[in-house]
Amino acid sequence: MNENFDRGALGKERLCAVLRNMLLIRHLEIRGEAAYQQGLIGGFYHAYIGQEAIQAAAIEAFGVENWYITSYRCHALALLLGATPNEIMAELYGRKTGNAEGRGGSMHLYTKRLLGGFGIVGGHLPVAIGAAFSIKYLEKRELAICFLGEGAVAQGAFHESLNLAALWNLPIVFIIENNNWGMGTHVSRAISVDKIAEMHAVSYGISGYTLDGMDFFDCYAGFKKAHKEVLESSKPVLIECLCERFRGHSVSDPGLYRTKEQMQESLKKDPILRLRHTLEEKGWLDEHTFKEMDSREKESAIAAMKYAEESPWPSPATLEEDVYAP
Amino acid sequence: MSMPPKVQEVEMQEVEMREAIRQAIDEEMTRDSTVFIMGEEVAEYNGAYKVTKGMLAKWGPKRVLDTPISELAFTGLGIGAAMTGLRPIVEFMSWNFSFVAFDQIISNAAKIYYMSANRFPLPIVFRGPNGAAAQVSCQHSHCVEAIYSNFPGLIIVAPSNPYDAKGLLKSAIRNNNPVLYLENELDYGIKMQIPKEEYLVPIGKAHVLRSGKDLTLISHSRMASLCQKCAAELEKEGIDIEVIDLRTIKPLDIGAILNSVKKTKRCVIVEEGHYFGGIAAEVGFEIQEFVFDFLDAPIGRVCQRETPMPYSKPLESETLPNRSRIIDTIRKTLK
Repeated sequence: MNENFDRGALGKERLCAVLRNMLLIRHLEIRGEAAYQQGLIGGFYHAYIGQEAIQAAAIEAFGVENWYITSYRCHALALLLGATPNEIMAELYGRKTGNAEGRGGSMHLYTKRLLGGFGIVGGHLPVAIGAAFSIKYLEKRELAICFLGEGAVAQGAFHESLNLAALWNLPIVFIIENNNWGMGTHVSRAISVDKIAEMHAVSYGISGYTLDGMDFFDCYAGFKKAHKEVLESSKPVLIECLCERFRGHSVSDPGLYRTKEQMQESLKKDPILRLRHTLEEKGWLDEHTFKEMDSREKESAIAAMKYAEESPWPSPATLEEDVYAP
Repeated sequence: MSMPPKVQEVEMQEVEMREAIRQAIDEEMTRDSTVFIMGEEVAEYNGAYKVTKGMLAKWGPKRVLDTPISELAFTGLGIGAAMTGLRPIVEFMSWNFSFVAFDQIISNAAKIYYMSANRFPLPIVFRGPNGAAAQVSCQHSHCVEAIYSNFPGLIIVAPSNPYDAKGLLKSAIRNNNPVLYLENELDYGIKMQIPKEEYLVPIGKAHVLRSGKDLTLISHSRMASLCQKCAAELEKEGIDIEVIDLRTIKPLDIGAILNSVKKTKRCVIVEEGHYFGGIAAEVGFEIQEFVFDFLDAPIGRVCQRETPMPYSKPLESETLPNRSRIIDTIRKTLK
């Protein structure tokens, strides 16, 4: 943890922009869930609500010009990497104007630097080390940044990818977002160790760190350190961000495995409230400005719903296009 | 045999199958610096079947990489590398080992171009020996083409001779899709005269190995030469058989198949893999779907019988398609 990090170092403007991003993620997910409940969105829907600080901090710390990759909980990362609220919502609605033209849906969003949301737990880790391999092969000064849930740590792909990345000195940061729950199974019933990153990193001869995933600043400081370390050592780094998801695993999960009291404790750690609080302490934000900011992001999310709803469906005539590349 | 046109004017070389494959890789690595090869024992050991012999010495460890026994990781690594600007060749020491990387090939390689709305083409070749070798028992003897060809997004090629092996592999490396390139351990030593100068064999084109008018005999990979032998044997009895080598399983060259069957009106399909849901089942179905009225007899097939591969020699040859089963099926189809 990075208690001594200067919380004002990024300056008012950048921090306010981060807060706006986090609010946009929150509102987009709230609206997406609402649309799901109305039957406008099908399939699965995994919201990022509660975990916003982590990926918001990652983009600030590493910058956009890297290869990013994540699991099926991918709406926030796509948004942070430049996908518009409109194209994300349209994808959730299955429309032609969607991020992947209605082919991917909730779990498979992309940008120029986002290799995807991936639907099989742990299945994207080997792909992530491939992106890191390219960076090294092409001698670029970039990183691969791979987000995974703590549930993926139990997969064989985790071990194989960590081993090969460490063996071949690949420039990659693995960020485990430990929200405590693999669907309805608590981490203590799934993973044999606590301090997942620190304990596993040792066995691959790499560094492992634990961060407070509910605190933007702790994540930012930890990621900055990791960035420097990977560029200098050319070794992967493994990070665990302790966090809470405020929703069920997916929309269809009523979350019966958590008590009301547990939920209330979780909500107290809201990363948006914490960042807001810091900004208010610094005198960089007042209630009025926050409310204005909040309602602007809410409007974007609502406008995205309207855009999606008015967007055309993909034509069935295009169904068999692009199964193969030219 | 599948000779190039203008054979007399072209300078030729005699090569084994493994050398033809190596030449293809080497030429493409020369042509394109983003091409590299990795797999178990491909570098310092010079290849489990010596396909990559001498390549580490020539190209160095950046482009010829030994991997640990970690198919899941290096298959996915290849996919990630292909998404981000490289053209990997991934060698499986045996296609049997691809099963521990199955999720990478099916969930990722086959899907990403389509699912990402064309953002990420996937120029990658997976190659290695497929099918039965000599008495390696059931976990090392799978024919994988029927399994993988069930998934849209994959290209599957299976050459039967050094000329096709070289030309098809070069096309595969230049292709912007995942290509599963199936070799056969028992074929690595097959020798053939091939041109010294560069040539390509297009993906998606079957080859008529021998033309005939009485029956169309369709196969691929190692079974193609067995079919040629059977056709030669029956020729002595005045039976004139057309032998087709599919060369590419997917996309299937259905046009070449239908043209032949329309002419001969009878057809037998031979496949080293199993009967149920096999390539023969698919080819046979398409024939009846498109040219049913031309057929004078039910389509025959000879495949691997519905058993795991036994170790013992007489049992192994009993389960695999063999000369007598093929000839019997041809005779039955000609009745």
